[in-house]
Amino acid sequence: MNCLEFRGLKLSEPKLMGEQARAHASECPACLAFARSVDESEAALERALAVPVPEGLADRILLRQGSRRRASRWAYALAASLVLAVMAGVFVATRETDSANHARIAIEHVLEEPQSLTTVYNADPEHLSEIVRGFGATLREPLGRVRYIKLCPVEQGRGWHIVFEAPQGLATLILVPDRPIAAAATASLGRFTARVEPVRGGYYALVTDSAGSTSEVGEILKQRIDWQT
Amino acid sequence: MALGSAQHFEQVVRAFSADLYRYAYWLCRDRFIAEDLLQQAFERAWKAWHELREPASAKAWLISILRNEHSRRFARKQLNIVEGEPDESEIPSIPSAAARLEMEQLVGLLPLVYREPLLLQALGGFSCGEIAAMLGTTEGAVMTRLTRARAALRSELQSANKRRSA
Repeated sequence: MNCLEFRGLKLSEPKLMGEQARAHASECPACLAFARSVDESEAALERALAVPVPEGLADRILLRQGSRRRASRWAYALAASLVLAVMAGVFVATRETDSANHARIAIEHVLEEPQSLTTVYNADPEHLSEIVRGFGATLREPLGRVRYIKLCPVEQGRGWHIVFEAPQGLATLILVPDRPIAAAATASLGRFTARVEPVRGGYYALVTDSAGSTSEVGEILKQRIDWQT
Repeated sequence: MALGSAQHFEQVVRAFSADLYRYAYWLCRDRFIAEDLLQQAFERAWKAWHELREPASAKAWLISILRNEHSRRFARKQLNIVEGEPDESEIPSIPSAAARLEMEQLVGLLPLVYREPLLLQALGGFSCGEIAAMLGTTEGAVMTRLTRARAALRSELQSANKRRSA
């Protein structure tokens, strides 16, 4: 095996180094260094590909397919007890949990678009006014300097991802149209805290980097936007 | 546990849903669509579950279903997969950022024809021969695409590192 063959093999199947390839690497310091460098970038690639998997994904798939009907008896008993618990009076808590999931999803969206907090994009205040109007609300006063406006995929549809400068720091407002939620809720993930509020046009999520800021900027939103709930 | 049973299906869902979700995510770069694609794929898989004869091939079979779902939904993107080998100049350059984000962006920017075999190998653990069978191409073509994809990623990362240390 020559250097060219070794490098081609290393780039196409980095984890499948056969006897000949290992023998070549042991005799060729340059190819050995190349192989180590490929292994490093491969590890970086695997880290990048390992995006977080949504919590409860497998359960949701199984629920949708109905395969749980065939689950074992103890699972039935557990499910039945959970249903009873829900029926016994945790309706409100369930509504809040559902809304809290939306809040968590909003934070995950911010985490998936880190550039939204570092770049200025489509930052025309007029756009914000139009978008808010299209959402069935009215912007009474400017929110602060708008830095980022983008139409993003959200929960089987599209929603507006807006970043503006609040007195408390950068705040992300996500407007999700036509997706009613049952109740307001707050959730935290990492350094971010999100608050979701149901409004007439769907719901909105506010994300900042602290619980205190989310609460304070949330009050600003209520004062400066007529949500017409 | 009987092959083709509901318990076997549940076992397969629990074993492979994370890898399949990541594969779907990197195909479409949207986590809501990725989960939806996965749901659709498992729905089709469940309907045809009795046809699965070989447990060892379950993951490859599910990936094929998922790819078909993705192609159905993004018919225009399928047009990116052209016969023959694409020009390396199709791999775009991106500005520097933190290393992991750079890698994520680079992978996302790879044309599908490069990205897909890379995902199948790095996430799915499939060999070039297995990937060739899934993509309906030759093992040589898969090796070429993987080589070019990795060379492009490495080149961009090295450039970014140089820019950072300059």
